[in-house]
Amino acid sequence: MRPRGLLLDAAVAAILAFVLVPILIVLPMAFSETTYLAFPPKGFTTGWFAEFFDDRRWMAALRFSLEIAAATALLATLVGTMASYALLRGAGAIGTAFRALLVGPIVVPHIALAVALYLFFQRTGLGGTRLGYVLAHAVIAMPFVVLTVTAALASVDPGLEDAAMICGASRFAAFRLVTLPLILPNVVSGALFAFIISFDEPVVAFFLAGIRDKTLPRMMFDDIEQNLTPVIPAIAVMLTGLSVAVLVSAALLRRLGRTKAAPAGE
Amino acid sequence: MLAIGAIAGGPSVTAATTGAAISVRGLTRRFGAVVAVDDVSLEIAAGEFIALLGPSGSGKSTVLMSLAGFDLPDAGRILIGGEDCTHLPPHRRNIGMVFQNYTLFPHLSVADNVAFPLKMRGIGRAERRARAEAALEVVRLSGFGARMPRQLSGGQQQRVALARAIVYRPRVLLMDEPLSALDKNLREEMQIEIKRLHSELGITIVFVTHDQGEALTMADRVAILRAGRVQQIAPARTLYERPANLFAAGFIGDMNRIPTTWDGRAAHVAGRALALEAEAAVSAVPPGPAILAVRPERIGVAAPDRPDALPATVTDVVYGGAGTLVIATLDDGAQVRARAPSAALPPLAPGDRVGLVVPPGAALLYPAEAP
Amino acid sequence: MSAARASAARAASAARAGPVTPGPAANDVVTTGFFRARGRRMSKPAIVGLMLPFFSLLVFAFLYPLMSLIAISLTEPQPGLANYARVFENPVYATVLLRTLRIALLVSLLSLILAFPVAALMARSKGPKLALITACILLPFWSSVLVRTAAWAVLLQRNGLVNGLLTGLGVTDAPVKLLYTQGAVVVAMTHVLMPFMVLPIYGALRNIPTDLARAAAICGAGPARAFREVTLPLALPGVTGGFILVFLSALGYFITPSLLGSPQEMMIATLISQQIRESLDWPFAAALVGVLTLFVTGITLAFGRLFRFDRLMGARA
Repeated sequence: MRPRGLLLDAAVAAILAFVLVPILIVLPMAFSETTYLAFPPKGFTTGWFAEFFDDRRWMAALRFSLEIAAATALLATLVGTMASYALLRGAGAIGTAFRALLVGPIVVPHIALAVALYLFFQRTGLGGTRLGYVLAHAVIAMPFVVLTVTAALASVDPGLEDAAMICGASRFAAFRLVTLPLILPNVVSGALFAFIISFDEPVVAFFLAGIRDKTLPRMMFDDIEQNLTPVIPAIAVMLTGLSVAVLVSAALLRRLGRTKAAPAGE
Repeated sequence: MLAIGAIAGGPSVTAATTGAAISVRGLTRRFGAVVAVDDVSLEIAAGEFIALLGPSGSGKSTVLMSLAGFDLPDAGRILIGGEDCTHLPPHRRNIGMVFQNYTLFPHLSVADNVAFPLKMRGIGRAERRARAEAALEVVRLSGFGARMPRQLSGGQQQRVALARAIVYRPRVLLMDEPLSALDKNLREEMQIEIKRLHSELGITIVFVTHDQGEALTMADRVAILRAGRVQQIAPARTLYERPANLFAAGFIGDMNRIPTTWDGRAAHVAGRALALEAEAAVSAVPPGPAILAVRPERIGVAAPDRPDALPATVTDVVYGGAGTLVIATLDDGAQVRARAPSAALPPLAPGDRVGLVVPPGAALLYPAEAP
Repeated sequence: MSAARASAARAASAARAGPVTPGPAANDVVTTGFFRARGRRMSKPAIVGLMLPFFSLLVFAFLYPLMSLIAISLTEPQPGLANYARVFENPVYATVLLRTLRIALLVSLLSLILAFPVAALMARSKGPKLALITACILLPFWSSVLVRTAAWAVLLQRNGLVNGLLTGLGVTDAPVKLLYTQGAVVVAMTHVLMPFMVLPIYGALRNIPTDLARAAAICGAGPARAFREVTLPLALPGVTGGFILVFLSALGYFITPSLLGSPQEMMIATLISQQIRESLDWPFAAALVGVLTLFVTGITLAFGRLFRFDRLMGARA
């Protein structure tokens, strides 16, 4: 290889180290026997995981976050898939409004959304409720669901639905029996993304949190701000594991989607 | 034969009565400022095989989409088997359709693809399987039911699509350039296959194509479309021998267009007068400038001094085995192409003087201002 | 964060090969070809019906709350622009605005410097190497911001690894204050946001046909010249798009500055939070949100075509 190529390789290796090393250094601290965060970790214990799972407050937060993330994934995927389908089947002027509105949650900072929803939910009685969290997180997750689903829909030959309809299927039956099976891997991966976005979401959760019900990120924020105990690395190990799992499944689903939707005969 | 019986609906229904007549009346479809279909009327007899032929943008596909129910016309009516289905959604029209890109459902097996229309009609699993297998037998794909579409070749996929289109015994089969994705040999094989199916099943077929050879060899009648209007609907022979206008004349086969002056009895070309029979004019031609249309193979190449011949100078000779194309320029500058059997031609070279013979009955006359 | 993740999703979708078509246009029907609008477009009521839940959700839980918050900034305590005047005239707040702009720009620049080589290497790699780099870049995408911020808190604390290294190498005699500084905020935010710039640039670079570099070489351009004259102009939309997305994300960033920054050197998001949670001054906080929202909206409209939504939706960049 030419020296210029080697130079680029070395530079990129250094940059990737900058990206990965901080995360990789924190993870082993979860197993340290010290009550503060130490590197290299001293001794080996799984006690901090036990501390997390034995603590009623952490468990409540975990359960709360899981509930909200599951509901968000369901809502965002359902609403996003319906809208994406309509968009690709000729929404016309409505489609323009749709695109404009969808860009909103992407560019408007979450702090602005969080503060606005905090006030609005206080006034409407949604403050601190699960529904409030789910609505807020569904707004944030919506663009990702739509991105994933429209990409899948666009790669399905619309002629397949024509063929199904001429075979006697109604529009809905054509969608259910032909299009949906073909885009399902992407719909599921969109749902996974929505789940992880909600599960990891710190800003809106920071403002919406009541006294009793806190999400996991909110609990983590408090702990980082106040104690910074090895419970945080323990959670980090689990969250990173979850992220890897989601990424790998999304990649596998996408591959599955590609082979499924690939026009026959290639 | 057994398989055909299963498709056609058993011995009590004879092939001849399976198809439905189609009546298209005043169909008009606009897209913005573009009039894609302009007041098109077609009467298609039950069991007829009709081809819609035209260049891209001629509106042929839009007519087909309206027949299928995928596109709603702005004006006009569509009757299938006497029933008005202008506004009926596609899934209630009970017609079969074969698409250009096969459109097999990639996640379903071949058998499930073929059985799909039966499933939509609430037919039980056992009967679905039997009828799908019968339909596959008709298109000569017995035993392929368990395969997935992507495991088949293009030609096989189009046969599956055909099986899916006929499995529920539709009275009308629409085909949207079904062979254009296939290579030449497969295309010819499928043309024969479709003709065979048509005669055996007796269904009405509307076949869209931009390939004139395909239209002429397959269809009972061909409708030529241009810019959203029907130019002519006729059997292949009429279309070739008496095209309704210069567009139809030029679209099908090769045609010489020789500028002429018509005096009501004779056409004057390059100083000679050609007496024409009354039926030479396909439509009324007023005296004055006109166009004389002659197929190249109807023009004879003779000695320059022959009195009934048009004197011309050879500009090019293209040898093509059995036939040779002689391109010559008349003395008034018009270019004429003559195709003659190679064996009957004297050796010719560019620059040679020849006489071009247009026998009575070979020439057609069109108004000059026609497009 | 959201902007950055969207660009990631865009690039990830763009990586999916295959023809892509936006919504069918009416006159596509008359054109032939594979992607003419085949199939009946749905009726208007059906489209409205399918879109209704989406619009209800976004109006109810996004547009209306945001608008009514901004309305408060204009009407309370008295109608007028007094709250906005306070934002710009009070030197304390004006400083916060300037600092926020400065940090966001710095983070975007650092991200660009770090992201470009990675994207360039990705564009010329394939197979396992490309997969490895992509994995390294994608993992931070979907891992918790809090986890990454905590990592920096650990690294930069008084007896943390960085101070250990500095004293160990003899750079400093005693541990220095690293945490709760602007430097910590810039480094950590760059760490969090940089991966999001990689994919838009990679998308742009990968879409440049390799033949173009050859053509430039045949025309007599050396590698550096070819890069400057051909590659860079063609990659510019991706670079600018990525830059703006990271810039927008950095502007409103809350978690990292709140946990790693100094209370004396706030960014706007922390100021908004403080106004609400400590001063309970809603109209003023609303004005700050208004300034922030107006600013990002302006940038989005001005540079909108760089991340046009049909592109976000998976069309080739």
